[in-house]
Amino acid sequence: MDQNRISTEEFWNPEHVVEKFWNGLKDGVIYAKKCKECGAIEFPPHHACNECGYHDTEWTTLKGTGMLKSFVFTGLLNARLELEDMGLKYVCGEVQFDEGPEMNAVILGINKKKGREIMDKLPVKVRPVFFDMGRYTTLFFELDEDEK
Amino acid sequence: MVHNVKLGQNMRSVSIVGVGATPFFNGITNKQYHGLTNGELFGYAALDAMKDAHVEPRDVQYFFHGSANPHVLNGCITPNLQVADWFGMRGKGSLSHSEGCCTGYIALEEAVMAVASGAYDIVLTGCGDQGTGMPDGNTPDHMRTALTTEVLFPDLDSIFDRAYGRYLGGGPGMNHDDWINFYARENGLTAEQVDDVLNHQAYHFRRAAELCPRAIRRTPFDQMAKDAGYDDVWEFMKSPHNPKMTQYLRTSSDSCVADGAACCIVVPTEIAHKYTDKPIEVLATGASVLDAIVPHLEKKATAEAARQVFEATGLTADDMDLLFVNDFIGSSAFLAAEEIGYLPKGEGWKSVLEGRIAFDGDKPMNTNGGRTSYGHAFGASGMADIFEAVTQMRGEAGERQIKKMPKHTFLRGFGGAQNVRATILRANF
Repeated sequence: MDQNRISTEEFWNPEHVVEKFWNGLKDGVIYAKKCKECGAIEFPPHHACNECGYHDTEWTTLKGTGMLKSFVFTGLLNARLELEDMGLKYVCGEVQFDEGPEMNAVILGINKKKGREIMDKLPVKVRPVFFDMGRYTTLFFELDEDEK
Repeated sequence: MVHNVKLGQNMRSVSIVGVGATPFFNGITNKQYHGLTNGELFGYAALDAMKDAHVEPRDVQYFFHGSANPHVLNGCITPNLQVADWFGMRGKGSLSHSEGCCTGYIALEEAVMAVASGAYDIVLTGCGDQGTGMPDGNTPDHMRTALTTEVLFPDLDSIFDRAYGRYLGGGPGMNHDDWINFYARENGLTAEQVDDVLNHQAYHFRRAAELCPRAIRRTPFDQMAKDAGYDDVWEFMKSPHNPKMTQYLRTSSDSCVADGAACCIVVPTEIAHKYTDKPIEVLATGASVLDAIVPHLEKKATAEAARQVFEATGLTADDMDLLFVNDFIGSSAFLAAEEIGYLPKGEGWKSVLEGRIAFDGDKPMNTNGGRTSYGHAFGASGMADIFEAVTQMRGEAGERQIKKMPKHTFLRGFGGAQNVRATILRANF
């Protein structure tokens, strides 16, 4: 083989976007991407911008704080079995980060009573919980009741 | 999300000239049907569609096979080649596709494109799934065993994005109740009102299924209430006999898993009258796909797909005489009807309570009973809707025939967390 020929790994050396995201959560860092054209935050991070359809984005981070805008209790059909097995109280809801992007998320620590209390106060503040799932750390939220 | 898709004109118009469908049934508990295989079911539906179009297998040039989950439910990943011999199409071109519970609608979209492009003149497209069972080990196909929740529930997660959404967790949990929860808040409905609306909707869809011999759940709720000792059916609907499975959905608003297959034949509209006196033209299909991590994805994707198809056809919701909505999440039915404009904004729930969405109402929907009563054979359900739409548009639905012969029918497909399609059919006779 010609020693001067470029290797495949030199020819194509891509970023590991998904791996970086999950490793970031282990360190308490929430990685996202920012569109180089319209400035929208792409969360979770992908190669291109889904807000305006531009091809190029750059890394940024999110604080993880935001607003819980709506939520549902789960039942037999849609329970998150891995959370049920841990005996956790949780709801699933729409969270908007302070930086703009929205996602369907898990919010911990909300039982039926707490849910009824906050139902008419929505949107309410939430903060991130970096939750150890064993082989990976994920991003959940909890109510940020210290903040007014 | 960018909203700039403008559908173009197909190279040539395409029409449905033949339909076929098996009943939806439980192949594990129904002794008469136990042991039927994927190839046999698809074959029966395919040959029925060919007979309806007055063609023989030799006349069909290409086929599509849709299935929501061929690997788990049937132990195969290329079902097209495994079914081809059952209806005389050995050696011809075919394609397998799988888009969860939206598969049946995409099956029509794909076949239309194959004909509209000019590549083929006679195409069969169909879907088959056996949702009640799975292969009984490494055995021939007729040996099937019940699909257990231990297998099904973890596998259902495979429709959610494996890079992020599945493990961030909120999307899967929001899947069933996100839209109805949002709607209730937006329109000031109490939980009791939502319960009433969903119970009335299930009640009226069951009235249609009672008259539909291919439906899996045909016992009217009035009868079920009486058998359980209730004089008032609405009391029964709110009783432990109809328990809540999510925050809002009771069993009656949850799909009933089934086995079944359905097919149709499409040809260029210019030659459609050679095959049938009542061709049904496929005017256009709008499409939108959003992953479950996106809040209110079903509402957003339905609006976008509907926008595309209305823009392409120049029609409006007022032109639609009949509507089908994939309602494996029961609340989807009237919510989607409202989103596309078939029911008045913010007031669709009243139409449900008044029974206007029933097969004998003035805004008929899901006249085969929908997923909650007709049953849900996953990928095949959308094609079963197309079968029913064509049957209604030809005026051949018997006792459940809607009052006004439908000129235009709108179909809203949904599934696979989540693909959305919006198709408009026109009676071309």
